[in-house]
Amino acid sequence: MDLNIKQRIETVITNLDQLPSIPEVATKIMNMVNDPDVAFKKVADEISKDQAMTTNILKVCNSAFFSKGKEITSIEKAIVTMGLKEVKDIVILIVAKPVLDKAIIGYDMAKGDLWMQGLAVATLSKRIAMKKKRKEIADIVFTGGLIHNVGKVVLALYVQNVYKDIIAAVEEKQMTFDEAEREVMGFDHHQVGEKMLDKWKFPPVLKSIVRYYHDPVSAPVEHRFDVSVVHIANIICLMAGIGIGSDGLFHQFNSSAIKSVGLNEGELEELYSSIPELIKEIKALM
Amino acid sequence: MEQTNDIINIGVAQVRTGSKPAVLRTILGSCIGICIYDRIKKIGGLAHILLPTDASSSRKGNSPEKYADTAIPLLVERLIRDGAKKEYLSAKIAGGASMFKFDTNASLGLIGEKNVEETKKALGRIGIPILEQDTGGSAGRVLNFYLEDGRLKVKAAGKEKIYYKI
Repeated sequence: MDLNIKQRIETVITNLDQLPSIPEVATKIMNMVNDPDVAFKKVADEISKDQAMTTNILKVCNSAFFSKGKEITSIEKAIVTMGLKEVKDIVILIVAKPVLDKAIIGYDMAKGDLWMQGLAVATLSKRIAMKKKRKEIADIVFTGGLIHNVGKVVLALYVQNVYKDIIAAVEEKQMTFDEAEREVMGFDHHQVGEKMLDKWKFPPVLKSIVRYYHDPVSAPVEHRFDVSVVHIANIICLMAGIGIGSDGLFHQFNSSAIKSVGLNEGELEELYSSIPELIKEIKALM
Repeated sequence: MEQTNDIINIGVAQVRTGSKPAVLRTILGSCIGICIYDRIKKIGGLAHILLPTDASSSRKGNSPEKYADTAIPLLVERLIRDGAKKEYLSAKIAGGASMFKFDTNASLGLIGEKNVEETKKALGRIGIPILEQDTGGSAGRVLNFYLEDGRLKVKAAGKEKIYYKI
């Protein structure tokens, strides 16, 4: 293990100032929407205080990806037409973009690659939830899918320094890339991502997705289904070359996740086969 | 230095052709990149296929670019339309990786292998020789296919290989 790197990562994740921030309004909206008794008007008022956020939300609502046909001209209308949960998803999408839409050097991803993968995994996760008649978690797996890789943004710098050691551990010790990250640096991108979500005060289920999306059986039981959905969506995207970086396919596809979500082989292949169309759809959000 | 404006990015299930000095670039997981080059005319093309054949009965024929058995004839047809001669064409193929650990016997785990198999068959049917093959394993691959001389650069797990045969 590279103790110097380990110590540097430790300093970064224990000193929250060094982790990327997102505007407070996002956390506020997310918590408001999680309250089942919240009034639409109260959420709309909160969003409307932020002019830039308002403009951005309307733009995304009217994009080919989200548009339901009618032009949306106000936040109230957006909430009524799309629902609170979808508007909340859009808020997270807007604040996550500047964090994720950049080159991730250590993982060998060009600018836009990580963002595109986030969008693809989000959309595919939502599709799996709908397919399995779990509409009530569609918004959670969408957001979780969008940000599942967020720890890479911070860890990339260190991966760049020790990539050779990580890949050697993968090849010589038959480790997954995550295991090798921990072996060489003391931390993996899941742990770093979880710390970022701590800083952003995101709810536990999203932290579980970020922490366990490559290892869904270790997730707390109450989050396991949501985590498994994102796990499957992510693997399918990687196989299709979406979001593939220097970590390649050095990951594990977990069969109990497939079982717990209840997808058969035909359904898995169909999801994989739908990736080209899905990519066309998400281009509207890039 | 490569001039960035010469790079043509090819997405999943896309077929593109071009000529010198273009560089066709794509990123592969279990998919296959089929690079075909006319060594005399110096034009070439790349197909990024997702699956071996179209198993769906309802929408069959809708997306020929997705499947090895339909995308490869399509690529050759486009190259010939662009002025290539079939007898000067040769292929290099890359991709077809599988998940590192796949603790299930689901067929999704075999897609990489099946893609390689069908790609070879489809090229064989048209009679285009495969000169180089960089397939399998668990690494993602970044392909740069240089149409000035038909060389193929494959970057995988931090290492670069260049295949020159045309």
